[in-house]
Formats: sequence, structure tokens, C-alpha cells
Amino acid sequence: MYYAVGYNKTSLTVTVEKNTVVNIILPESGTELGEVVINSSRTTDLHTVTQTELSGRALLQTRGSSLGETLKELPGLNSVQTGPSLSKPVIHGLHSNRVLIINDGVRQQGQQWGSEHAPEIDPFVANRITVVKGAAGVRYGSDAIGGVVLLSPDPLPVQKGISGSVYFTGASNGRLGAVSAALQGAFDKHLQGLSWRVQGTLKAAGNFRTPHYYLANTGLHEGDFSAEAGYHKKRFDASVYYSQYNTEVGIFAGAESGNLQELLDKFASPRPLTPSYFTYDIDRSYQVVKHDLLKLAATYHFADGSKLEGTFGRQSDLRQEYDSDLPYTTNPAVLAAPQLSFRLTTHTADLIYTGAERGGFSGSMGLSGNTQGNIFSGLRYLIPNFRSYDGGAFIIERYNVSKFTFEAGGRYDYRWLQVYRRNPSSLDVYNSTFTYSNVSGTVGATYRYNDHLSGSLNIGTAWRAPSINELYINGVHFSDASYQIGDSSLKSERALNTGFSINYTSGKIRITTDLYYNKIHDYIYEKPLLQPVTTISGTYPAFVFTQDNVHIAGLDLALQYDFLPRLTFQSKTTLVRGYNETIQDALVYMPADRFENALEYHWNKTGRCLHPYVSLENITVAQQTRVPPNSDYVAPPPGYSLFNLHTGCTTAIRHKALDIDFSIDNFTNVAYRDYLNHFRYYADDLGINFVLRLKYTF
Amino acid sequence: MKKTRIILLTTAITLTAFWSSCKKDEKAVAPPVPENEFLTTVELVVTNAANPSDVQTAKWEKLNPDDTTAPDLSHAFLNLKQNATYNVAVKFLDATQTPVADITGEIQDRANYHLICFGIASGLNLQATRTDHDNNTPPLEVGLQDVFTTGGASSGNLEVTLHHQPNVKNGDCAPGSIDADVNFTVTIN
Repeated sequence: MYYAVGYNKTSLTVTVEKNTVVNIILPESGTELGEVVINSSRTTDLHTVTQTELSGRALLQTRGSSLGETLKELPGLNSVQTGPSLSKPVIHGLHSNRVLIINDGVRQQGQQWGSEHAPEIDPFVANRITVVKGAAGVRYGSDAIGGVVLLSPDPLPVQKGISGSVYFTGASNGRLGAVSAALQGAFDKHLQGLSWRVQGTLKAAGNFRTPHYYLANTGLHEGDFSAEAGYHKKRFDASVYYSQYNTEVGIFAGAESGNLQELLDKFASPRPLTPSYFTYDIDRSYQVVKHDLLKLAATYHFADGSKLEGTFGRQSDLRQEYDSDLPYTTNPAVLAAPQLSFRLTTHTADLIYTGAERGGFSGSMGLSGNTQGNIFSGLRYLIPNFRSYDGGAFIIERYNVSKFTFEAGGRYDYRWLQVYRRNPSSLDVYNSTFTYSNVSGTVGATYRYNDHLSGSLNIGTAWRAPSINELYINGVHFSDASYQIGDSSLKSERALNTGFSINYTSGKIRITTDLYYNKIHDYIYEKPLLQPVTTISGTYPAFVFTQDNVHIAGLDLALQYDFLPRLTFQSKTTLVRGYNETIQDALVYMPADRFENALEYHWNKTGRCLHPYVSLENITVAQQTRVPPNSDYVAPPPGYSLFNLHTGCTTAIRHKALDIDFSIDNFTNVAYRDYLNHFRYYADDLGINFVLRLKYTF
Repeated sequence: MKKTRIILLTTAITLTAFWSSCKKDEKAVAPPVPENEFLTTVELVVTNAANPSDVQTAKWEKLNPDDTTAPDLSHAFLNLKQNATYNVAVKFLDATQTPVADITGEIQDRANYHLICFGIASGLNLQATRTDHDNNTPPLEVGLQDVFTTGGASSGNLEVTLHHQPNVKNGDCAPGSIDADVNFTVTIN
């Protein structure tokens, strides 16, 4: 769809299988304004794997939310939450170490194993978010078992001049405020080819509120910035990018439990036992995270249309967690120290060659490597230090013939891991070394019946080496009052994912259906032990990491129907079924069935307001009934139904576009709890929320 | 040629940055923090109010907080006389240190944030009353100093819990979180 303010909206679907130039001449409609918005689906490197994208207005309507919250509106995606401020994306029922996040070409590397370890990314850097659903190990390497989230910023400008954008989000719940601004420009004359961008985000929120009470200590403060410089000359492109993400997030006070009995008392109480009020102050317990990324990238475009890209990234992730209990000491330095501190430094290097299309054949191949060092320090033990080296090589070939695209690829990965620990009695440091290697593959085909109907089938594999917590964690996880025990003999888990999708697009109807069946061998999960562990703070249920064979199947359905010129019906359905084949029972923590239906009324203009819309959305989530007996402290919460209202339009200030979106989330103020929110044991989810979002582009 | 040079230069810088930054800091595993004390031991020092030489100490101990071994319960019991009154001091210790570190003072220093609660099994004829107070306004009980009053012959479980209640202490056991939760067997005869 192509439109520009001041011109009539034009809709055109173009299937791009090779480099194609599309010239669009928009019919003029009176007022004069700039900017052309192009919602294009630029295909990623795997063409037959199902993917979905968030950009334009849909992305604007999530601004100010965390990355996990941003993506949960997409069909097939959910979010796993630890309270209102910590959220992680779930793709086809899988999350954390099973979902890869690629931030502008660099694999995001943080402490991602815990449910409260939210991605250390400012979503404002991305102007387009693509989600690859299903095993994409061939292209992206280990861990892409559930899928891949790709964040892409706008390309740097090429024409001389300075432009930019400012986002503002204000929300009533948590009295959240977020401002993000970007400024970019390019030079000419003797600095021809040089361009730059600087961007920054500030965000703050206080205690969030459920329909009936505040959630104590759920505030957050965030400050991020990034800067990029690029150079383009004829066939050569190079760029330097640096970003920093800083956040301090309070952990809901009502979720701290000393032991199982206290936990059960909190579950039994209809509201948190500790009353709360509104404040921006963050108390213990809280976490402070700082993530740095330095990226150097260079591309050479060969005369035949092929290109060679090299990317180097250095990331440093520092996570400090402060418990609600101060350590028992009189030393002020120890009192001020975090109970847990993790510093993970990762260097990545990728070299990718993308071939030009010849006789219907095209493809890409690449090498990638990374090394990681983790330094843990803390007042109590949780995970050990380690050093790892990973190397991989892949090749993907594609063949386009008449209405078909065939795709096949292969990859080999090797991982070396050395773990360093200190014997608590003798204080000697000793190490253990592990190696893992794996071959991944993908085959797929797309058939385009006509311009309206197409279908894709893909079978792909992915693998994941056990993460450091699964191998070596040993200690109490305070937010869910459980004692976790790692197992250093775990093997890699391997996924075989079959995905089938059908797309139908006509003038009035757009339907996307994705079906998948993901079989995972040696799936690693926490299995309850029959014998609880007694510590001085009480008795805890114990969980040990173990491996079973499982499968996850599901359906994502997205439908859009313009049944009147001004009225559009949108429907999204996400169904996930997980099954543990070894114990022959349901897989725990699978998303419950989710249905989103919206009715939108939109028209051409009202006064200076262009393309205004009003939409009413209903989100209905069923109760999760497929859980093994005695696998959870309390039964999954009942289903719920929420109503959201959105309205907005595009107007102009000094001939520049201002996008306005106002929404009322959960406007019937329903008290509900979500199965994938770890704090559902203790408190309701968020109540009514009025949100104003503005985007000014200049 | 110029482009080739740029590519080679970029590659060289990249590789240099790549290798020089692998300093292997992770091999220096952080030793335990010396002044951080662990709660390993809870003691009840029980003195007969009628006979100051009748003192007994019950002890609940688990030396390594980071493993799954069972606690040492060999001294986790009290033998009390019928219809008697006892002055009780609750002590929290770190027995991993030599000499054993007493954490009770640090809890006393932060008494406004702490409360000790007693869970007495039904059938055990024991009454526990906290006698010390913090400096909240109005002052709230702490429980490091207590009086136990016994009734007729009986036996049962006494649960001692240390509640950490920063800014939410209101005299009840419910708010906050639990730092210690240990059990003693009490016999009255």
C-alpha cells in the first residue's frame, strides 16, 4: 500500500523475486505535504519460512512498550511476563534461549535464560520488526528453535539535508512517559557519501495499577542512545554503530516469598498482602542492566549484482540484581553491592556472500563466529563463569521457476564451552570443558497459484546447546520460591519444524494461515523433584533440569476483510498445543488460545485530520486447560476478555506529518490474570490505561 | 585497489579488536565476599525465670546454604518444665566463619524492618510473648527477646520465623518476606 499525505491512497501488491524497480505515481488530491510511506515486505534470507512483520501504524501503536509487549499483537506470538515491566517475546510457544533476536544484523547476547531477563533493546531503534516463525537454524545458527526476531532501523539517508522524528508516549497507568528522538543527515560535495544518525530514548514509569490496587515496586527508569555513521561510495558501503541501553526495573514486592508456605499464603490471598500506593521510587528488589553494542559493518557490491557483507559486533551486558533483603553485614560496601552480578561480553563476526540471480538460481553463504566470556559475582552462588567459542558455516540455494520457488540449505556449527568454578572449601579454581556440534538443514517450496493465492511448505532444523543455567544453576529462585538444580550432563536439544502457510489476498480480503508442527528432541525443562529442599529460610520445592522429547503444534490465522469501503474487520487467532511425548502429557507453560477481533471505521479526512480511524478491539484469551496434574502450585487462571479502543489520524505541523494515536486499553477495567505472567500467582494484571502516542516526522 | 585496501584495513582492525579483547577475565573466579554473612544457624537460648542457672540452648543449623543437604537437627529441641516461665533470646549466627559470627546485632540494628514470629503446634501448651520493641512510632514488637510460658505436659513443634518487612512492618507477620523459617521440637514435662 502506498500513500502520501496530499495524495490519494493507492494500493498495489508487487511480488519481488529479484531486484525490481517499481515507480509509483500517486494521484494528487489537493493539500501539499511530504513523505511517502511504503509498507513493503522485504523478504529475509529464508523465503519459504513463515514470517510476519510489524511496521507503520501497527508499530506506532506499540511505541513506549517493551519489545515483548510490542510483538504480542502479531499472530503466533505471545509474551512471557514477570510483572508489568519485564516481558519477553514468545514465538510458537517458545521463548528465552529458544528465540533469537537480531538487532540490525547482530545477534543480541545477554543473560536471556531467566523469565525476568527481558531483551536489552530499545524498540524505538527499529522502524520495522520482522519475525521469522519456526526453526531458522540454517541461516541464523544455534538457538533459533522457536524463531527469530529481526529489528531493522531505517537505512541511513543518502540525500543532503537533515531530517528526523520525535516520538512521545504518555500513559495513565504507571504514569508512564517515553520520549524518543532521532536526527539524521547526509553530506554532499567533498563529504559526499557520508551520512549519520543519532537517536535517544528516555522512559520512566511508577507503580502500575490493576483494577483494584497498585502493584508495589513495579516502576522503571530507562535511558538509551545510539549513534551511527555511514559511508557510501560506488560499490562500497561501511558503517559504524554504537548503542547503549540502561535500565533500572523494580521487581513487584508482592512476589517475594521466603518459602513454600509463604508462597501458598500469597496464592490464597485475593490481593497482595502488602498494600501499595503510587510512587516513581524503586526499592529493593530491583535490577540494573546496561547493554553496550559496537557494530562495524562493510558491504561490497560486485558488478554482477552479488554482494559481500562483513559485520563485527562487540556487546557488553552487565546485569545487577539487588534482593529485597540486605546482606547480613556491617560493611557499607557489601551492603550496597548487588546480590547477583553478571557481565557477559560477546564478540561476533559474520561474513556473508549473497549471490546474484542467474538462470533462476540465487542464494547466499556465510561464515559466522563468536566468543563469549561470562563473569558472575555475587553474595550468593547462582551460575559459574564461562568462556565459549562458536563457529558456523552455511549455504542456502534458491531456484525460481515459473510459479515455484524451491529452497534448500545446510549449516554446520561447533561450540566449545569451558566453565570455571571455585571449590567452596579449598577455594581452588577448576574448569570443565564441553564441546557441541550440529548439522542443520532446511528445504522448502513456495507455489504462487496466481496474484491472489500462494502457499509455502518448509521443513527446517535448529539446535541449541544447553545454556549455563541449565548445566550449573544451583540455588533459590526467589520470585517463584523454587530451588533450581542444573545438570552438567545435558545434551543439545534439536528441533525439526514443519511449517505450512497459505496466503490469500484480493481487493477486500487478506488471509494468512500458518500451520506448524515442531518436534523437539531432548527438550530441556525444569522437572519437579519429589523431595523438597530445606534451607534456613524454609522448605522449597526443588526442580532439576532434565530432557524429554516433546512436540509443539499450532495455528496462526490472520484475516482482514473490508466489508464496506469504510469498515474493516480484523481477526487474529493464535492456537498452540504442546505435548511431552516422554511423560505422555501436556507441556507446561504453553500459551492459552488467544483471539483478537477488531472492527475499524476509517475515512479520508476530517478537517486537517487525514486518514482518521476509530477501532474497537476485543482480546479473548481462553483458560489454559492442557496442563499436567500437580505440575503447578495453583491452577491456570480463568480465561478473560478485554476491550481496547483506538483512535487517531495524521495531521501536519508546518507541513510535516504528525501521527496521533489515542487508545484506552482494557476500558471495561476487567481484573484478569494471564497464564504466562509469572506474577499471576500474586496479583491481577493491569487495569484501564489511557495512552497517547505522537510521532512527528520532519 | 583503493577499495581493496579499505576492505583489508577494516578487516585488520576488526580482527585486532576481536583478539585483543579476549582477556580471559572469566578465569579469575570471584572468591567469596569476606564480610558477607550467611544465615546458617538459629539458636534459642532459654533461661528459667525462676532459676537463672537452668539455661538450655536449642540449635537449628545448615552450614552450606547452596546445597541440597539436610540441615543438622541434632540440637533442635527444648525440654521445658510444666507451668514455668522462661526468658528467651533468639540468636542468628553464621557458623561458616571462624569464630562463629553473630548476626543478631545486625538484625537488632534494623529492628524496624524485622519481626520474629512463633508458630506453636496445637496441643503444645506453650505461649510465646515478644518483650522487646523497635523505634517505629508507635513502637512495634521485634521478638529477639521473648518470654515463653508453659502449661501442662505436652509436646509439639515450635516454628520460628524471621520476617523481613522493609517499610511495611505493621505488627503482623504477613507483610514482607521470610528470611528464616526453622522448626524445633518442644517437650514439656
